[in-house]
Amino acid sequence: MTANTALIWLLAIPFGSAPIIYLAGRITEKLSPKTGSAPSRWLSVLALAGTLVPLYYTIMHFTSEGAINLNVNMISLKFDGISMLVTVTALVLGLCVTFFSTKYMQGDDGEEKFFALLPIMIGSIIGLVCATDLFNLWVWFEAMAISSYILVAFYRDQADAIEAGVKYLVQSAAGSALILLGIALVFAQTGLLNLEQLRISVVNSEPSPLLLAASVLMLIGFGVKAALVPLHTWLPDAHSQAPSGISAMLSGIVIEAGLVALLRTAGILIYSNTTWGYLIMGFGALNLFVGNLMALRQTQVKRLLAYSSVSQVGYILIGIGVSIYSLQPTGAAGGFFHIITHALMKGLAFLAAGALLYALRLSHHNHEPLQVSDLDGASKRYPLTAFALSLALLALGGLPPLAGFMSKWQIFVAGFEAGSGLTIAMVIFAALNSVLSLAYYTPMINRMYRHEPSEQVKAGTTISWKMALPLVILIIVIVVLGFWPPLVRWMVNPAAYSLLSIFTSVLIR
Amino acid sequence: MASTLILLVIGLSWLGALLVWWVGDKRSALQHALAIFFSVASGAASIALIFNASSSTVINLDAGGVFGQFTFVADGLGVYLAAIATVIGSLAVIFSVNYMHGEKGLGRYYAMVLFFIGGMAGLVLTSNLLLMFLFWEITALCSYALIAFHNDDPKAVAGGIKALIITQLGGIGLLAGALILYSQTGSYDFNQMIANPGIINPRLLSGMAFGCLIAAAAKSAQFPFFTWLPDAMEAPTPISALIHAATMVNAGVYLLARFYPAFEAVPGWKISVILVGMISAFISAIMALFANDLKRVLAYSTISQLGYMVFAIGCGGIYASQFHLLSHSVFKALLFLGAGAIIHSVGTRDMREMGGLGKKMPFTRFVFIIGALALAGIPILNGFWSKELVLEAGLTGGPVWAYAIMLITAGLTAFYTFRMVWMVFYGKPSEKHIHDAQPAMKVALAPLALGAVVAWLLAGPFASLLQSTLPAHNIHPASTMEVIVEVIKAPATYVALAVVALGLVSWWQRENLAGVSKAFKWLGTIAENSFGFEAVNKFIVRETQATAEELRDTQTGLLNWNIAGLLIGLIAVIIILVMGG
Repeated sequence: MTANTALIWLLAIPFGSAPIIYLAGRITEKLSPKTGSAPSRWLSVLALAGTLVPLYYTIMHFTSEGAINLNVNMISLKFDGISMLVTVTALVLGLCVTFFSTKYMQGDDGEEKFFALLPIMIGSIIGLVCATDLFNLWVWFEAMAISSYILVAFYRDQADAIEAGVKYLVQSAAGSALILLGIALVFAQTGLLNLEQLRISVVNSEPSPLLLAASVLMLIGFGVKAALVPLHTWLPDAHSQAPSGISAMLSGIVIEAGLVALLRTAGILIYSNTTWGYLIMGFGALNLFVGNLMALRQTQVKRLLAYSSVSQVGYILIGIGVSIYSLQPTGAAGGFFHIITHALMKGLAFLAAGALLYALRLSHHNHEPLQVSDLDGASKRYPLTAFALSLALLALGGLPPLAGFMSKWQIFVAGFEAGSGLTIAMVIFAALNSVLSLAYYTPMINRMYRHEPSEQVKAGTTISWKMALPLVILIIVIVVLGFWPPLVRWMVNPAAYSLLSIFTSVLIR
Repeated sequence: MASTLILLVIGLSWLGALLVWWVGDKRSALQHALAIFFSVASGAASIALIFNASSSTVINLDAGGVFGQFTFVADGLGVYLAAIATVIGSLAVIFSVNYMHGEKGLGRYYAMVLFFIGGMAGLVLTSNLLLMFLFWEITALCSYALIAFHNDDPKAVAGGIKALIITQLGGIGLLAGALILYSQTGSYDFNQMIANPGIINPRLLSGMAFGCLIAAAAKSAQFPFFTWLPDAMEAPTPISALIHAATMVNAGVYLLARFYPAFEAVPGWKISVILVGMISAFISAIMALFANDLKRVLAYSTISQLGYMVFAIGCGGIYASQFHLLSHSVFKALLFLGAGAIIHSVGTRDMREMGGLGKKMPFTRFVFIIGALALAGIPILNGFWSKELVLEAGLTGGPVWAYAIMLITAGLTAFYTFRMVWMVFYGKPSEKHIHDAQPAMKVALAPLALGAVVAWLLAGPFASLLQSTLPAHNIHPASTMEVIVEVIKAPATYVALAVVALGLVSWWQRENLAGVSKAFKWLGTIAENSFGFEAVNKFIVRETQATAEELRDTQTGLLNWNIAGLLIGLIAVIIILVMGG
């Protein structure tokens, strides 16, 4: 398979399969209401598994030949290091989530739409990170956003879910409006939309107020999606009200895709890497602070995990901010490594919490949120799920020998390598926040290992193997990465270099 | 050979942890058996490792990039601590067969114990500072999991989380140290730095030194981070013996001893170490005087004895501190396991409800008194020799006022030790139903009692092991006979013995000294409140929670405010960029 063919199939399979999944589901539901939308569930798993094949070829071509460039009429794509990392993460997480959801969403009204939209969202993410000009990037971004709006507000009979969906939609749309404004300003100033050409143009011209304004608009616009504080307020509602598989996807890869879009676009417009380094690090510190303190007071499990996502984005931002500030790749490598580990850990946490939510509430058709106090004694009835959730929480807290420790470590090294007082202070601040996060992760673990089960646990149903299998896979990957982080070096280093090439080429005049 | 043994020491423990968990709680007899097998096997491997000790790197795995080379060294400092961890670990496991009989969650218990043993061995055997930090955190995780083993008991859970958070906060100091080392030298191998501290910029070396001191103080429950150890006594007693007396708390002392040659020249470091050790030893001895919970007395005593070790390091007495560490591990584990037998039999930890237990528990009384004599520093037990060496190091290497305080503390140690023994085994008989230590408990206690009596004979070989494998540490080799002669000839020894005797006499004559004890009642209140440090902890927790609660107002739930947040962000960034240029 040639590089271009592989890349085309990489996007074609998710998008092409979506209508088939939907139709298959609708038709079988009409024909035999008993089996329901079973075909749509398994077709979507198959579609995502199938996408792994062109992904493999794409990666092979990338590692031997370098970035892959594809131009089809108006659509031009470039598969570089960042694209590879995000695509692999999105597909691995997406597969786990889809498999999990075959049981989780079973019997829900409109599930064929769910299983059709998931591949669309994943495909949009892949397109987003391969986009080469502002307009196409924005289109992929919107496709991702729109599919996620529907998935978040999936439980359309629940007032809380609708409220979360509306807030998410309005805030995200406000962000998109700002992005469009920014694109317009860039086009007005330079007449260009292609990212490479823009880079060259910015390098060769004087700093312009229009481009400064555009960079800020991009930062804030994409920042809504990337959950920068104070733009994050949609996140706790959306991540807690969405079906658990979608929560995992949102926390695991959607906000990170927003961050990548932010870096790709604002990155070519910046003039001072120190100021932008400070800015990104500042946002990182703010995210850590707000995310951790808010999580401390939560009594609902999924809301706690949502705030935890806000704080974990803080680590990624600090890593990338240090890289921009010092123009060294280590911080970006740490940030990208943390994107991978966070997707795995938060994915595992949301899926495990989702399994418990399903067993304790949803299987009784109860849409009340899962409270921390419901977890009492869960390990007795659900040993694997309780272990999975505990492991995910410990990993998020940065305890070895789990993956979160290693990715945070790489970010911390970068801060000390950069050597300035500010970056070192950032590392210490981040380390303190890691310790603080243990204060809200550990009580949940202790509750699960009590001997006295809560009423909800006693009345809970069993957890199917379809929900357990993704948990086991994620556990294994998190532990293995925790012991031997070099396993992902082939993804992390190219991504870090791709990122740095955006920033350094702008600044080397 | 050494590399295989190191892999066995860590690997057998961890394999055991996995198997015990895998086998499941329904087959508890198999779990007990597996735990004993793997901990003893690990112990055997570590003893074999002692005979293969050298100062060269024996394992080297290149993890590349920012993760460095995963290296392991089997030098004297590492192998003896690994041996303590695994051997006392296996004794604690054997003890647990009786102590944890019938408990639910045995798989989790043994898995965490074995995981801990392997982690502790790894901590002391690695020469890569990243790996040391990794193992440091693993031991903290196991300690938390085991303190909070009885998850239904809120005190246990609170104790576990408190221990985790305080030791993790201190750990940031070690984290900073590791990162400084890497950013300055491009490697995590600390042996090159210890041999030649000049390779690191002096200001950063100072940062490293104090960072490591903070980490060590938190891990070894020293001033000002000691408040977690008394609360950690909620753990099952074999855990208190293993983790919170004989192994994990020694990690801080190990860290200071390991890095001493690199940090000794840092201005202000040695005196800080002396102060930390001295203050810890003194105030915890006072707190032990007033405590009524048997395990709490032992906990305060542990803080105090660790203070002696830290003090010795500050005065340059590396050998003295490590010898005292060895003695302390043996007699403190003995005391804790003995306390475990007592608590298991009597059903309470409050010494006021004990008394006169000696008649029904002769074996336990016998071994416990041996441990108590060693703690008080009575000749010829191991505690006597090592404490004398520490005090001598203090006299020659530190300020005389610090030596005086440590001397007074020795007297206080004797006092509270005998108070403890009296309250438990003598005096008015308790009404409770008593039985002596059960068979597995006896099997664990006996070797420790023997060790307390004769282990000091290894002083000479121990010194030469350290001297031959730690070139940078300037250990002066001395045979056991030379050590004995040195201690017997030093006048300081007799001063110390006099103070100890004073302590004993004061207890014996306590009724006549009632007026003195009334005058010190105010001290008791302060001691019960941990000299105000518990109040500091509570303040920090309260303020953090209050700030978090205030912050909740920013999540208004109103869409208009959310969008306003967007605009505020926009304006703020524009201002920053315009000003920043």
